[in-house]
Amino acid sequence: MTSMTPAGDFRSSYRADTTIFPTRSSMMATIAGVALLCAAPLVFGRYELGLLITIGFSAIAALGLNILVGFTGQISIGHAAFFGFGAFASALLVEYHVPVPLAIWGAGLMTAVVGLVFGAPAARLKGLYLAIATLAAQFILEDFFARARWFSGGVAGRVTEPYELFGLRLDREETYFYVVLAHVVVMFLAAGNLMRTRDGRALIAVRDHYLSAEMMGVNLAYYRTLSFGIASFFAGVAGALYAHYLLFVSVEAFNILYSIQFLAMIIIGGLGSVMGSMMGAAFMVLLPEVVQAGADLLAGSAIDRTLRLGASISFLREMAIGAAIILFLIFEPDGLAHRWKMIKAYWKLYPFSH
Amino acid sequence: MDTTLLFQLVLNGLIVGALYGVVAMSFVLIYKASQVVNFAQGEFLLVGAWVCWWMLTTWQLPFWAGFLVTLAFMTLFGILLQIIVLRPLIGEPVISVIMATVGLSIFFQALMKWMFGVFAQPFPPIFTSERMRVMGLEVQTVYIASLGVSALIMLGFWWFFTYSKHGLAMRATAFDQQVAQSLGVSVPKVFAMSWAISAVVSTVAGVVVGVVNGVSSALSFYGIKVFPAVILGGLDSIVGAVLGGLIVGVLENLAQYVDAQWLNWGNMYQIAPFYALILILLIKPYGLFGTRNIERV
Amino acid sequence: MRLPLPLLAGALLAAAPAFAQAPIPVGHLMDNSGATSDVGVPYGQGVADTLAWVNQTRNGVAGRRLAVSGFDYGYQAPRAVSQYQSWAQRERVVAIQGWGTADTEALVRFVTRDRIPYISGSYSAALTDAGGTSRRQGVEPAPFNFFYGPSYSDALRGMLQWAAEDWRARGQQGRPRYVHMGANHPYPNSPKEAGEALARELGFEVLPAIQFALTPGDYTAQCLTLKNQGANYAYLGNTAGSNISVLRACQTVGVQVQFLGNVWGMDENAMKAAGTAADGVVFPVRTGVVWGGTAPGMETLRAISRVSDQAGTAYRPVHYLAGACAAMLMVEAMETAAANGGQVSGERIRDGFYARRDWVPAGFQGVCTPSTFTAQDHRGTMRVALYRARVTGNTAQGSVQELMTAGTMALQPVANIDLQRRADWLGW
Repeated sequence: MTSMTPAGDFRSSYRADTTIFPTRSSMMATIAGVALLCAAPLVFGRYELGLLITIGFSAIAALGLNILVGFTGQISIGHAAFFGFGAFASALLVEYHVPVPLAIWGAGLMTAVVGLVFGAPAARLKGLYLAIATLAAQFILEDFFARARWFSGGVAGRVTEPYELFGLRLDREETYFYVVLAHVVVMFLAAGNLMRTRDGRALIAVRDHYLSAEMMGVNLAYYRTLSFGIASFFAGVAGALYAHYLLFVSVEAFNILYSIQFLAMIIIGGLGSVMGSMMGAAFMVLLPEVVQAGADLLAGSAIDRTLRLGASISFLREMAIGAAIILFLIFEPDGLAHRWKMIKAYWKLYPFSH
Repeated sequence: MDTTLLFQLVLNGLIVGALYGVVAMSFVLIYKASQVVNFAQGEFLLVGAWVCWWMLTTWQLPFWAGFLVTLAFMTLFGILLQIIVLRPLIGEPVISVIMATVGLSIFFQALMKWMFGVFAQPFPPIFTSERMRVMGLEVQTVYIASLGVSALIMLGFWWFFTYSKHGLAMRATAFDQQVAQSLGVSVPKVFAMSWAISAVVSTVAGVVVGVVNGVSSALSFYGIKVFPAVILGGLDSIVGAVLGGLIVGVLENLAQYVDAQWLNWGNMYQIAPFYALILILLIKPYGLFGTRNIERV
Repeated sequence: MRLPLPLLAGALLAAAPAFAQAPIPVGHLMDNSGATSDVGVPYGQGVADTLAWVNQTRNGVAGRRLAVSGFDYGYQAPRAVSQYQSWAQRERVVAIQGWGTADTEALVRFVTRDRIPYISGSYSAALTDAGGTSRRQGVEPAPFNFFYGPSYSDALRGMLQWAAEDWRARGQQGRPRYVHMGANHPYPNSPKEAGEALARELGFEVLPAIQFALTPGDYTAQCLTLKNQGANYAYLGNTAGSNISVLRACQTVGVQVQFLGNVWGMDENAMKAAGTAADGVVFPVRTGVVWGGTAPGMETLRAISRVSDQAGTAYRPVHYLAGACAAMLMVEAMETAAANGGQVSGERIRDGFYARRDWVPAGFQGVCTPSTFTAQDHRGTMRVALYRARVTGNTAQGSVQELMTAGTMALQPVANIDLQRRADWLGW
């Protein structure tokens, strides 16, 4: 994942090399993008806003997973369980009369603590052994949700309150969208900043070569566990946002398939890329919608009638999703973030790009 | 304390554990040869079971013929899968390859439902007597038969890896791909072969599960069950996989016993193997039989 | 003030043709490909055929066709939510035929907020407390959620009443033993406490619950526990796939127990898959008859069945009939809303559900059980019809239809239990 800095881009200090935004124009572009998104509720209906909200909280969770997998090089197959823990924790805090805006961050912190506990084996485990340990965390936490009535309301689930700020109820898509957008901006800036700190660089060092990192004085066990904590914090906040969107949390939602979805998001978006997490989340949320739209177009058309697809369309849709993931990995192994850089480079160098 | 019940549960655990062991073995085989963690292992079982069911009901083949046709089909299936999907991914990060197998699993889940319907289907009776008595426990005959087949497969593996040329080539590849290649081993061929063998072995397990429970898409859940077994034994040990399977089988049954007798917590049956998994990994980070990687700079 | 009335009527009449052309948008959420598709397919087919039949033979509701937008969400709650948003925004649906636990739970707050009646295939008793009068913990008012048939809890209560009578009728001594079996999951657990409480009330000895996962697997250990406990009546709370595994494992180890199935856990397809292991299971059926039975309303159902099966030979499982009844309740509630030139809006459809007592859709006599909904109480029916599964031979060859005609498989009516509409059972 080499960064594509064009020739003539000289940096004369470390400070310049570690800004969040590589250039001034990229900062302006980001600000303009957020400003444009602020206008989204004026343009879009609730269906599109609902999708944007889903992309928003999925992206936060995916970003957390990317810090763990993409930046620190640890595989986790239990991210949805931490996401779920955040959702339940926030609902629980609200039950104890904590205002929702605080409960979301409180849930993040609680999830971070749980993440640290399950991250403890990470100090000793590597690669696939760790991956399977997180799979165990997935099943153990799922069982915990179903069992711990005081925490999750048991299998019946828990009803929770909408987001309320200064007496304003933000419970419609048009309003809740801003809540999610604000959290997305904060979390993405936080992640961008994290990578500029000593801790962030230590995480990357652990990924790139952990033996060398250790020799440079990076405490391996500490940073491996820490990355679990950070990832869980992100997952927890995302889960809480999910909880206050649906206003109902049930254990059924947080299964292994959802964990795999998060993994798919970061792999498709690009491992170790902050913006990639966002692109991957958008891809995975929109893929079924797009395939469905295609299926709707097909339904009743000549192709449908000649092949007598009818009821088969839903199976074809699932198969298309599976195939899309495989084809993506074969033809775009570095993720959407990489492709985006290539496109940018193409235009920057136009007409001299090869 | 009820010793007969306890004994019966341990016995049942061993019988079912042997089946887990077979699936775990086919999983380890792929991992050992090509370093791929196959999340579509459960779908191998599923595809095998459905194809065999189809041979027996729609084509009305006798069991032995249908079973052989299925095995032949699955050999081809494994090879094609490796060539079309996995080969282009050689050299990609582990996690990308994992994701590709997840994609495969989604794809085949849907395909099987599309082709064979969403309803669970029973297998035609294979043995004249569906159950037999083993040391006081009534057991499905097919489980006992599967024990025999599993033992044969394991014996076959032992011979294959110790004496046959291909087996030795596979071991060499597993040990060091570059060295093996420079010694004239065709690595792509070895990869394809390992996928084929794995698919065939999984099919045996898939058919057994299908005969016992009926075939339905939920059968692929056995693919997830092998993870504790595989990790307990160590990812790269075939003997370990079999033992891991046996341990998980017994553990499940004992957990159910303890739960029903004293704890009444519920669900220990399903969750106990995962607690055991975490505990064992804390003590032995490479599983019980896995080789420790000694890393030097 | 006399004058405006005829004027108003005139205006309405003038507007009527415009109304007649605008179809009524309806959402239909189904699972044809996901985890619950084994029961989702026949139920969804029943709903879809019935709505199509209403359009074909009755020209829709009050002259307006039903524009049914079907969506297979594969039992994935996030997709149900996004599809719901699309329906509410683009199609502006006035009612939704929903499906399982996952989507119903995820959408309760949404449909209440948007005032869209949601007729689910999830019969959780927690959905019945429409006015929030029970004040039970974790139960919130769900005034726009409806379902056809007894709630999961009431179905189990009916089976327990039958079991108590059955115990006496067989002249058994002592207290019968009851055990709840199922995964620790919203669906199997929904009626757990209600069932155990009534079992104690009826004099059963309630044994510690036995858990097994929702996926097929080896459940010999559970069956050995069951045998060892000496249970007499066991409730199988899971969906069909894993129940089959339990039935087969228990048959193998020779467990002598009367299994009590549940609405989505036993049907003709599960009987075929389980074979003789399913023989004797008693389970609740939501309609007065099963396919092939005789009732005045069966003629209508055969007509509905021909919508998707022109030959008219297909066998329709129990869920198909239940789906037809659920769809008809919605259609008639819409007709009530549309009566006298009324607007077909979500709220008026909800009120349409309250308009009748002992409500059987016209033409469905003997098929759909009489339902009564009130603004406080969404327990449509307290009647539980029990059937016994009979499987006498090899089910591997041949379709469900052939096996039912050949008599290899059969459904025997056992009893009709009419439960008391007890206030303390509301929402539980």
